[in-house]
Amino acid sequence: MSTGPGLESLVDRMDVYCASYPLDLCFSCVVIMENFVLILFCLSTETISVITNDGRNIVGVLKGFDQATNIILDESHERVYSTRVEGVQQLVLGLYIIRGDNISIVGELDEELDSNLDLSKLRAHPLKPVIH
Amino acid sequence: MGSEEESAVKEPLDLIRLSLDERIYVKLRSDRELRGKLHAYDQHLNMILGDVEEIVTTVEIDDETYEEIVRTTRRTIPFLFVRGDGVILVSPPLRTA
Amino acid sequence: MVGSYINTHKFLSGFSSSSLYLFIAHLLSLNNPVLQLFFSYFKDLVGKEVTVELKNDLAIRGILHSVDQYLNIKLEHTRVVDQDKYPHMLSVRNCFIRGSVVRYVQLPPDGVDVDLLHDATRREARGG
Repeated sequence: MSTGPGLESLVDRMDVYCASYPLDLCFSCVVIMENFVLILFCLSTETISVITNDGRNIVGVLKGFDQATNIILDESHERVYSTRVEGVQQLVLGLYIIRGDNISIVGELDEELDSNLDLSKLRAHPLKPVIH
Repeated sequence: MGSEEESAVKEPLDLIRLSLDERIYVKLRSDRELRGKLHAYDQHLNMILGDVEEIVTTVEIDDETYEEIVRTTRRTIPFLFVRGDGVILVSPPLRTA
Repeated sequence: MVGSYINTHKFLSGFSSSSLYLFIAHLLSLNNPVLQLFFSYFKDLVGKEVTVELKNDLAIRGILHSVDQYLNIKLEHTRVVDQDKYPHMLSVRNCFIRGSVVRYVQLPPDGVDVDLLHDATRREARGG
């Protein structure tokens, strides 16, 4: 760690935050600061899987997020789980903004694992809603 | 700091402070109860408990007789962090004279 | 050294703006001192395996990667404890869990120093 003041020590400290905060899902982001609200727009094309408080599972490309875990998803679809014969149904949603309050989990989707999944063969009840 | 001040109970959380390192009973939302040794807590009632026994009570309704069937499941966990927002009540250990 | 690796990596990839935001957020929280016993505790637990139980009854086991002041948690090498019942996260290996949906965290026995916790709790109780 750098000891001196100024930019260099700032860089050092920022590295610590970068390495140790869970919100830091993506590396290359553009910051837009407006009315003290920060939204981080990601240039990455990371696919994420969001589980909402009402038990829904939405999969899409992470386009942005902020400190309240509000999330912007592009090319998103919902995976509807059921125990019926047809297995998991996929509903196209497109561009979605999900309010952080309603988010339980944000998972990084492992593309290889996901392409090996046969969703039509998966049978499960939908997740229970979160009861606060 | 005198021991008198240490043991004075002026506000509810003082009672919990006196239960540190003692077995307490915690009632939680969604019909859960815990018994365990209190190792840490904060003002939100987040807690770390040791040697925890959890009891979950579920009520099912019999399809035919519409009778309520009450089931309890128990399990033990060596060390458990409990988020304070689920806590309904905390009961300190019974003190015998 | 892990630290120096991160540093080099950072210079190669340019500034991470999200870290800049978090840095500012941290400065703001310094002006508004908050008690943070469990935040500190979980930071010390980074790298250990924990099981996070959520308020939707899902239990996820993984290596604690990081935590922030809301007790949001990021886990790595995750697997859901009952995968047959909950196949919803089969292709997820790293995940962010919002602090507000956590019910319990099962802690590794070697990650709990009872005496240290008692002292920290008494200190926190005096400050609050």
